[in-house]
Amino acid sequence: MAINVGYFLKESVTSFRRNWVMSLGAVITIYLSLLLVGLSMVTGYLVSEVVRSVEDKVSIQIFLKDGAATEDVEALQGWLLRDELVEAVNYVSKEQALDRFKEEMAGSPEIIDSMRENPLPASLDVTLNDPRTVQEMVERIKAQELFVQVCDRPDDPEQSLKYGQQIVDRLFAFTRIVRLVGVVFVAMLGSVSLIFINNTIRLAIYARRKEIGIMRLVGASNSFIRAPFLLEGVLQSLIGAGIAILTIVAVQAAVLPRLQEALPFLPVDISPTAMLQLSAVLLGAGMLIGLLGSGFALRRYLKV
Amino acid sequence: MITMRKVGKTYGTDKPALHDVDVDIEQGEFVFLVGHSGSGKSTFIRLLQRELLPSRGQIIVAGQDVVKLKNWKVPYLRRNIGCVFQDFKLLPNKTSYENVAFALEVIGRSKHVIRTQVPEVLRLVGLEDKMGSYPDELSGGEQQRVSIARAFVNRPPILLADEPTGNLDPATSLGIMSLFNRINKTGTTVLVATHDREMVDSMRKRVIALENGYVVRDQHRGVYGYGD
Repeated sequence: MAINVGYFLKESVTSFRRNWVMSLGAVITIYLSLLLVGLSMVTGYLVSEVVRSVEDKVSIQIFLKDGAATEDVEALQGWLLRDELVEAVNYVSKEQALDRFKEEMAGSPEIIDSMRENPLPASLDVTLNDPRTVQEMVERIKAQELFVQVCDRPDDPEQSLKYGQQIVDRLFAFTRIVRLVGVVFVAMLGSVSLIFINNTIRLAIYARRKEIGIMRLVGASNSFIRAPFLLEGVLQSLIGAGIAILTIVAVQAAVLPRLQEALPFLPVDISPTAMLQLSAVLLGAGMLIGLLGSGFALRRYLKV
Repeated sequence: MITMRKVGKTYGTDKPALHDVDVDIEQGEFVFLVGHSGSGKSTFIRLLQRELLPSRGQIIVAGQDVVKLKNWKVPYLRRNIGCVFQDFKLLPNKTSYENVAFALEVIGRSKHVIRTQVPEVLRLVGLEDKMGSYPDELSGGEQQRVSIARAFVNRPPILLADEPTGNLDPATSLGIMSLFNRINKTGTTVLVATHDREMVDSMRKRVIALENGYVVRDQHRGVYGYGD
């Protein structure tokens, strides 16, 4: 009997340690997975914020010839404003264009000095509701007679239009790639976490197989037997998710100000709402991973 | 209480473990199930617990059709059946009291019920002094008493025992059997699978004998009855 006492003591200590290490392992994997998921979401968010700020700057400029009839210009402006793709139309006179140019060229006054008269045309700056419709809008404008009448280069109306279709296309291609990589990452890490939880719960079931056998014997209901394991999986994921959120908040607080300093012309900032949403997504994802992982393990290893 | 009609059980493609078994056990009966190893005793017991499903035939236990019973209802069937095994199946890290209480906890009985019923049943099996002992501090007979207390604490109408004295010496076995007898006197149907010849012969209860999966004898006030 003395040998038995020692044996049982050792076994329970070993079992405790084994479970502890496994649980910690599961928590760490979920933590790392959700951290990467969170960081890729933050990156995606920042990139799309940058894209949006660039998109805001995408507009169509229609250059007008000197001495274009005011009523024609106003008619064109009115026609543009009636188009459902157009958000706003802004008239920029020759003088305003020159002022803008001077402002931009303030660093090299010799260029401004060398200008004897104002070479810049007046223009209509068209902002669109959706930057992706730039090409379509350009086609509509080119088909419009008024435009040909007032444009800067009637011989080649195309040259009187300036728009950033290529920039927009490239940016959209880039964001698509970022999103795709993000989705692939999330899927891969999600399945890794699932496998880990699955394993942890399998070991937990194995470690408690005697108790489970007796529970079944005396008629404990299936849900009663399953609940602690489901809970274990969910708790592990929630702890992992919690630490991941804290890490992301810390990283964001440490890195973003420096990033903003290095890139003053881009808006690198995460609103508190976005941060809350991110936390909710991570907690939700953690909960889901925990439920699914332990659920699979229970289905496979706990025949009740 | 227990009805089996034309029950057969085949594992894989082997010859049947049980063959055309017809048995009726009334409420309050005490029945020995005897036979050599491999005669089908354990299969018989496990069919009643619905650990196994029969290949053919009908089984009614405590008013429930075991074959048609939905999976999720199985636990509720098992609450009507106390089970005792040769290897006791006690949890080593729990005391006698905790082992018995565990059976009530996991079917959701209240703390109050547990506090009153556990000491009572431990007194019934004669272990009122050993409530705080761990299984490895108890003798084999005492461990089996804990396991019987656990099987009976919920007052099931049926008690099944599979070789309950297989690991115990004759004197201890006698004590266990008289305990089953006492439990049977409370109106509980008791079915004991055993190959303990002396026990069966001395108790003079109903004996169902199995041989190669067939019921070869069903005798009231019977004896073990094998010549070898």
